[in-house]
Amino acid sequence: MLEIAPLAVAGIDLATGTAAVNGMVSGLPVCIAPAAPLTRWSLRARDAGALSAAIGRALPDRIGVVIDGIARLGPDEWYALLPEGTVLPGGAGLPVSVVEVTARAVGFTVEGAGAVAALARGCPLDLAGFAPGRATRTVFETVEVQIWATAPETYHVEVWRSFAPWLWHSLAAGLALTAGLD
Amino acid sequence: MSGYRLARGGRIDRNRPVAFRFDGRDYSGFAGDTLASALVAGGVTLLGRSFKYHRPRGLLGMGAEEPNALVTVDRGPARITPNLRATQVALHDGLVASSQNRWPSLKFDVVALNDVFGALFPAGFYNKTFMWPRAAWEALYEPVIRRLAGLGESPVARDPDHYDATYAHCEVLVIGGGIAGIEAALDAAQTGGRVILIDDQDDLGGGALSDAALWPLLTDLKARLAGCANVTVLGRTTAFGYYHQNFIGAVESLTDHLAPAEATGPRERLWRIRAGEVVLAQGAIERPLVFDGNDVPGVMLASAGRTLALRHGVAVGRAVVVMAAHDSGWRDALAMAEAGVTIAAIIDIRDVVPGDLAEAARAAGIAVHTGCAITHVSGRHAVKGVTFAAAGTGPERHIACDAVLMAGGWTPSVHLWSHGKGSLAWSEAWGAYLPGTAIENCRAVGACAGAWSLGSGVITAVLPNRKPVRAQKAFVDFQNDVKARDIHLAVQEGMRSIEHIKRYTTNGMATDQGKTSNLNGLQIASTVLGRPVADIGLTTFRPPYTPQTFGALMGHHKDALFQPVRKSVIDDWATAQGAVFENVSNWRRARYFPRGGETMEAAVLRECAAVRNAVGMFDASTLGKIEVVGPDAAEFLNRMYTNPWKGLQPGRCRYGLLLREDGFIMDDGVSARIADDRFHLTTTTGGAARVLGMMEDYLQTEWSDLDVWLTSTTEQWAVIALQGPMARAVIAPLVEGIDLDGAAFPHMAGREGTIAGVPTRLFRVSFTGELGFEINVPAHEGRKVWDAVHAAGQAHGITAYGTETMHVLRAEKGFIIVGQDTDGTMTPADMGLDWAVGKKKPDFVGKRSLARPDMDAPGRKQFVGLLTEDAGELLEEGAQVVADPDAPIPMPMIGHVTSAYRSAAAGRTIALAVIADGRARIGQTVFIPMPGRVIRAKVTAPMFYDPEGSRLNA
Amino acid sequence: MILIHCPYCEEDRPEVEFTYGGQAHIARPLDPAALDDAEWESFLYIRSNPRGRHAERWRHAHGCARFFNAIRDTVTDRFEVTYKAGEQAPDGAAR
Repeated sequence: MLEIAPLAVAGIDLATGTAAVNGMVSGLPVCIAPAAPLTRWSLRARDAGALSAAIGRALPDRIGVVIDGIARLGPDEWYALLPEGTVLPGGAGLPVSVVEVTARAVGFTVEGAGAVAALARGCPLDLAGFAPGRATRTVFETVEVQIWATAPETYHVEVWRSFAPWLWHSLAAGLALTAGLD
Repeated sequence: MSGYRLARGGRIDRNRPVAFRFDGRDYSGFAGDTLASALVAGGVTLLGRSFKYHRPRGLLGMGAEEPNALVTVDRGPARITPNLRATQVALHDGLVASSQNRWPSLKFDVVALNDVFGALFPAGFYNKTFMWPRAAWEALYEPVIRRLAGLGESPVARDPDHYDATYAHCEVLVIGGGIAGIEAALDAAQTGGRVILIDDQDDLGGGALSDAALWPLLTDLKARLAGCANVTVLGRTTAFGYYHQNFIGAVESLTDHLAPAEATGPRERLWRIRAGEVVLAQGAIERPLVFDGNDVPGVMLASAGRTLALRHGVAVGRAVVVMAAHDSGWRDALAMAEAGVTIAAIIDIRDVVPGDLAEAARAAGIAVHTGCAITHVSGRHAVKGVTFAAAGTGPERHIACDAVLMAGGWTPSVHLWSHGKGSLAWSEAWGAYLPGTAIENCRAVGACAGAWSLGSGVITAVLPNRKPVRAQKAFVDFQNDVKARDIHLAVQEGMRSIEHIKRYTTNGMATDQGKTSNLNGLQIASTVLGRPVADIGLTTFRPPYTPQTFGALMGHHKDALFQPVRKSVIDDWATAQGAVFENVSNWRRARYFPRGGETMEAAVLRECAAVRNAVGMFDASTLGKIEVVGPDAAEFLNRMYTNPWKGLQPGRCRYGLLLREDGFIMDDGVSARIADDRFHLTTTTGGAARVLGMMEDYLQTEWSDLDVWLTSTTEQWAVIALQGPMARAVIAPLVEGIDLDGAAFPHMAGREGTIAGVPTRLFRVSFTGELGFEINVPAHEGRKVWDAVHAAGQAHGITAYGTETMHVLRAEKGFIIVGQDTDGTMTPADMGLDWAVGKKKPDFVGKRSLARPDMDAPGRKQFVGLLTEDAGELLEEGAQVVADPDAPIPMPMIGHVTSAYRSAAAGRTIALAVIADGRARIGQTVFIPMPGRVIRAKVTAPMFYDPEGSRLNA
Repeated sequence: MILIHCPYCEEDRPEVEFTYGGQAHIARPLDPAALDDAEWESFLYIRSNPRGRHAERWRHAHGCARFFNAIRDTVTDRFEVTYKAGEQAPDGAAR
């Protein structure tokens, strides 16, 4: 019987030193791994054009869609996952809000034929039709996450730093618990 | 025949014998047996004692409906599961099970005397008897009733098993894996969508498993099912609840059917399924007949006898009498006879039965008695025979037998249909309710829809008998021991609605939810009341269909994964230092850092002294933080907070007090203006999400014209509070780009620069009354900066302190903690925070409420200090304060203690309290009554240290 | 768990992503000081509690984060319609 060790790790440990975990869910292979370092930005504006001009980047116009690392999460909210070191203009004085939140969250990748099943253990969305290029905020059990479909059978999961150990171990436990069972 | 095992037949694997124990005795069965079928094969008829009268009971059915045969299965230490239906326990090698609700043994049960004195336990007995005296309930009645009337015993050890859970989605969900269900799944599969088929048994097939004629069809259907890639079959899975919009809860049993040594992985899996369409194919449950002695072990449902013979190769008895009111009893008798079971007689209440059945029975050499009813069953632990009579009232005749099978007709299983709020329609033909109009996208098929030919029959209330019903032990609800006479009594005593009759008699209120008793209870009430069944109503089925484990419902929320424990990036360091932690909302925070076996009191006094005399460092990362950005940022804050914000200059900080619209304090915190259009707000740790939600609410729904946006940055920033006279000296060598000089960087200023090479928002603020800084750095750099500050502080005697010390230090200064010193009914004036309310502001959230007359009426509780007369006496937080300890009880209470600590700075204990008209009582003595004594304390201003604030501006 | 149609995301989303926000269409008075105590009490505390159709606020807190309004039947728990904040309640909506 698998025993889950007490959660002695802080979020920062997961972001920097956690090894990938491979396993099976519903008989399908899954790999969960910490995502590569990224910069994160919360972008807000009533007028998408003003925001786009302020940061000099194109913005997706549909909620739930990603263009070039920027997802539209809500009518006035975008979220950018950009290569490490990227700096966006602050938009001072403009009717926009540009806030760096790189340290706020950590990212995981969930990859493989069983990725949907691994996420479905705690996420109530039907991810079967969640095609690459889609992104949304949602929950994994009681924890708020963002799920980005980055490629076929590949998902990027964003979670606030202090919830990351719980989420990581929950995902990993699902792999370990069901491995060899189905 | 060896024991009761038939020489051939059944779907068991006779090459795989399985050894098991029941009540300490060894038995053997075969793979494919249930515990129930193997016990019958072994000659065991007595499986339990009934709930109230402790009457001996055997099996009634063979499936989920079983009310009697509840057993405890022991899978080793801490893996003991009570109240399992023996009919649903798959046999495995080494299974250990025991009967329940008997003392000291199943055969000899002391409490069975209840049965002898059964007249003492009529309907409504509990309601009538255990009402008085009230005190006897806890002391006497409840413990005794629990011991005598209990089900199995709950395990007390920690459950070592793990449980899984998942969501699932499909276009069509079929519940029930009989022929109707499989066919529905195959049809649905043709459309190409995702199909899930759920069945609770070890093997798909439902009722067809007990009908050899259907086995070839079953084999074919299962093969076709296996060929459908878009169909997921969940066996050993019980759909226990049907919720809104086709959301179905189901539990899959993963390991209980395996020997413990072979069980790996989670024990059960919770399925939370969202389906486009739900197809219910739950089948039907046979109805018992109600007659004197119908609960003697060996009296069972005819369908159970058939299942034993056809599926498990077991004879229910050596001489079996079938008591029928329905054709299916005849069919079962004929099938059993063909399988090698001796049918002593078929008795049918009907005068006329279908000719083909009568002919077949005669051809099989079975004695037939139509127009007759059983009037009595002899035997106590097992059936010895029956008496029967024409129309129940004619001359009695006797047949020796060891099993009686009841065929009272069928009740379509509408449980899940009813969970889904589908309407029900009374069917005279079935004598039962059938699915009517669905609310959800749901349909019923097969027997549960009334669309299955089981033959015809008559519905009877109680079989006719010369004895009055009150003299009969004719059971309706076997699990709750409700007899026909109890329902008669309930009606006589004035109950008219089935909802009242149910609660008065407890009919249908046991763990089986009346699967075999509801319709019979209704029929009897209908007969006694002389009104149609449909006028009396039907009690509502509710989830769960069968009882489920708490483990399954919890899923993976267990042990370390029970719920997220939020930790800051300093947590690892605190752990290494031996910190004692406390939980603050979902966060785990270091409470104090004991050294060398220090008590909390000693550690906190030391930490407090260190801050006052040198310097201390504190992890304040859990404080809520919100970045408020946009041209209207100041305008927005001005509307939210009580005090003015528009005039705050960039680079300055301000204490903000936040009210709810009702005028009571909701939260507070110090915030900094980073730029004209950018603020860095802080909130309390526990209030972070609440405050952000409230601000978003106002912004989105009241002031949507404002160009300002809120971003939670709680987790973006690690925060190190550095407090004490040496604070500046500690960070001076680490900080670049900020002039730390007191004049250049005064109290309540905020600057941006670097510390230890990391970009920082450095605020000069204090929650201790000392010179202090709060160092905000990106969270992933937090530990690095913490270590650098800690190292730099060594020369100055730096001491890490925890939340307890923080509490004491702020209490010495009279700084409030929202939620501890306030309770949701305190105004700024109550708390002495009038200075933080902008009198000239035309409006802010809560302002209008502050003008209501009661908000500054005399007698409101006000925030004050308390000093006990005995300087060593520590008051209890929450203790009530009174003005006159000699007043008669209940004495008027004037307030309560909100905070109490031992203060190093004050050299004594201190306390904070809210007391009616407290400020007018300063200097007076108040009293705190405690068990056995009364503590005297003097009311003071809520300020115990450095009232001039000279240290702050050092 | 019910599904709720978010008028911003234009999708049916699971209930656990949402939070309830009380009765809808109770605007904060533009000038609270102009209200007498009875009027202010009514704004603060007096709410309808119908058996049946109820106009209420929900927030897609763990989705697009927006507040919106809904007509829900308190008997059946069915959402009749959801609509964006600031929009008029559909004809016949309960108040």
